[in-house]
Amino acid sequence: MSGVLDLARDLLPLIWSGIVTGCLYALGALGLVMIFKCSRVVNFSHGNVAGFAAFLVYGFSTGFLLHLSWGAAVLLAVVAIIAIACLSYAVIVPLVFQSDLTATIATLGLGLIVQGATLLVFGSEIVNLNLPIPHFGTSILGLRITGYDLTVLAVAVLTIGILFFVIDHTKLGVAFRAISDNPFAAEVCGLNLRSVHLFAWIVAAVLGVIGALLIVPTTFLSSTTVASFMLQAFAAAVVGGFASLPGSLVGGVLIGILMNLFTFYVSPEFTNTFLLVVILLALNVFPNGILARAGGSRV
Amino acid sequence: MSENAGAMMVERGSGDRRFLPSSGQLAAYGVAIVVICLPAVLVGSWIFTLGICFANSIGVLAVSFLLRYGGEVSIGHGFFVAIGAYSVAVTDSHFGLSLLAGLPAALVLGILAGVLFAWPSRNISGIYLAVSTMALALALPEIINNTNSDWSGGYEGLYVSHGVLPGVPIALQQYYIPFVLLVIVAYMLGRLRRSRQGIVLLLARSHSAAADAFGTRRVWARVSVMGISCGIAAVSGAALAFASSTVSPGGFTLWSSIFLLVGSSVSFYGLTLPRALIGGGFLTLVPQFLSGSGAWIPVLYGLALLGVILAGQFAGRIRAARRRGPEGA
Amino acid sequence: MGMAASLEGRGIELAFGGNKVLKGLDVEFRPGEITGLIGPNGAGKTSLFNCLTGAYRPQGGTITYGGSALDGLPPAGRANRGIVRSFQTVALCPELNVLENVMVGLARGYHSGWFNAFLPLPAGRREWAEMREAARETLAGLGLSEVADLLPLRLPPGTQRLVEIARAIAGKPRVLLLDEPAAGLNNSETRDLTRTLRQIVSPHLVMVVVEHDMDLVMSICDRIYVLNFGEFVACGTPAEVRSDPEVVRIYLGSVDD
Repeated sequence: MSGVLDLARDLLPLIWSGIVTGCLYALGALGLVMIFKCSRVVNFSHGNVAGFAAFLVYGFSTGFLLHLSWGAAVLLAVVAIIAIACLSYAVIVPLVFQSDLTATIATLGLGLIVQGATLLVFGSEIVNLNLPIPHFGTSILGLRITGYDLTVLAVAVLTIGILFFVIDHTKLGVAFRAISDNPFAAEVCGLNLRSVHLFAWIVAAVLGVIGALLIVPTTFLSSTTVASFMLQAFAAAVVGGFASLPGSLVGGVLIGILMNLFTFYVSPEFTNTFLLVVILLALNVFPNGILARAGGSRV
Repeated sequence: MSENAGAMMVERGSGDRRFLPSSGQLAAYGVAIVVICLPAVLVGSWIFTLGICFANSIGVLAVSFLLRYGGEVSIGHGFFVAIGAYSVAVTDSHFGLSLLAGLPAALVLGILAGVLFAWPSRNISGIYLAVSTMALALALPEIINNTNSDWSGGYEGLYVSHGVLPGVPIALQQYYIPFVLLVIVAYMLGRLRRSRQGIVLLLARSHSAAADAFGTRRVWARVSVMGISCGIAAVSGAALAFASSTVSPGGFTLWSSIFLLVGSSVSFYGLTLPRALIGGGFLTLVPQFLSGSGAWIPVLYGLALLGVILAGQFAGRIRAARRRGPEGA
Repeated sequence: MGMAASLEGRGIELAFGGNKVLKGLDVEFRPGEITGLIGPNGAGKTSLFNCLTGAYRPQGGTITYGGSALDGLPPAGRANRGIVRSFQTVALCPELNVLENVMVGLARGYHSGWFNAFLPLPAGRREWAEMREAARETLAGLGLSEVADLLPLRLPPGTQRLVEIARAIAGKPRVLLLDEPAAGLNNSETRDLTRTLRQIVSPHLVMVVVEHDMDLVMSICDRIYVLNFGEFVACGTPAEVRSDPEVVRIYLGSVDD
């Protein structure tokens, strides 16, 4: 009997913190999936751009580049990232309509450039980015809940709520859904594919910034930190089905929980290997994502 | 005789020219001659660098091969390069055997690993496969760092010290042997193009349903192409280990895999000796020239990758426009 | 070897979800004949064709060739039994020249291993030379020798279609399934195609043609099956089918002239 209680006592915090980090992976995955849904391009530069954003916040707030208040630094960083997103899309746009695989490789090139820029401006050391997150902790039913947890959940829920509201109720959101469903028909109806793509790119970049900033308190910030969080975002997107926005949420939380369980019960040394197995399994077992219904009777 | 046959364009395809070497072959021979003579005029550090360049060229061929014959992009080939490199390093450090034993081991293990990865990924293609290879590349350092460091040398890695040709200075061996391997790989790929397996694989790449309808199963095609591509990557790793005398996990990151793709793109995915050298040369010499400011390397690679892609698209549009014109389609 | 065999289907049923596409069809495609399969769009011609090639698996009924069942055999396996097909949109490899494309059609009959693919070994060389020779013969038989060294994308559609047919017959198939071979061809190219198809008829070869072009079908087919809503409404010689009142009724709204 006590074995079961012990299990629950271990399991609950793992699941809880899995849900919290899962929200971050979901934010990353949402960005990837939004771009994929409307343009069939996988943005491999997502992680590098998000990491660069985190560095920009660091630079703008600690005097490395500028000495601004934290809020102003974040705002400036977001503006800079939006500019980068627009620039990235401008470079990619002639390719998007030709071949999505080529455009995807091109995003690798963009990622390399941004990575280089990060190294050039900020060097390769680890820096400490302090975010104004309330430091408190309470225990509810034996489960430890910290200010960080609540901040992440609040920001994630708010962001995702706003995003889904925009997609469901604004003109741009409707255009996005139309183009994701049937780009040809949407264009025939007069929708501008390029503006919707740009919208998706900008939203993805902003989501990436939010995700990166929230992930930083759990690790240090270096040129590789955010990139390694990208693998989780990719896994979340794959598990949730690369063309499903709600799937990204489910995928993110699932990956968060699974990773925690794996790290605790098996080994913390093989997380990437574990994710590789998860990705291969997901693509074989449910290629359209965990939320898709199995269908069709063709051989 | 069909009247339509007379109305067509007369642009020669890959016809059989038995009597004169083609311009491609002449280029290959020319390059080979230059490479063979270079050590006479270069200083030691350049000879060392070029040896590594030849090894990287083989890696570029592996990625280009996967794209040309399989239609797939890999950003995880560093995994298979590492298999080859560590095979050679382990046989050298722990068994005292030279490349003569290490190379076959590397090749076999590389092909095996390729087949083992191809199976669970047999129905995965395009972007999903690229993401899977990315995961593969990211999993590699974990695997290396967690194997018994007595075997793998851990963070510091292993040394490769045995030469192959007795009496020849090791520095020259590290130059010529990788080059010989590169020539052999390019030659064998040329033969593959003129083989039954090669032509069915090419059809399987462009029209998999048609290849299937003529007896070439998709899974066989995928596994074969992966096996060959990863075998070539392992040979590249073996050559790399031999040419640089050391093997360590830092040399096989996701970046190294992405760089192989960059080299492959810069060479426009060519499978000939000169093209391989363009790709490998770009990869190896750019860091040499930028040795002071390493951060510019990813920027330059990124720009090169973008430049090549955009140039390719631009050239493609010109070609398409020209083709449309005269035939009036 | 032995006697020429028929390709037969008994009680073929196919449904997608709740939608019945083929409702218990009985067909017999005889060797030495060209059998046509026609019907309005959505009649089920392509579905039946795909059942014959192995792309679809019918839920009911069996398909046999020469008495042995083909059920569950995928397209690659059917190719090994000598059942080949052509494609509605030309499926030639753009990187291979015409001769090499035709050689692909023969490849299933040769089995030298990987060492022969990478090294200049005698067995591989012999095999390659044999394949080239057989492919050249096939091209010559269809009057295509001139284009052997050209790349397919440089050829007009009619010629590409003939090359596809050359590829299909190069390996001496027993069953040839043609999927709208006249699609995309102009009148003169269709005449070339008609002539070529008549030329390759042989007592051991079963030929099935799915086609919309009535001129082609009426002029080369010995027997025609007319399909509508997953059932056969007529089967017979071109003359019989042309005068069948049911067939006339079906096509009255969509006559293509």
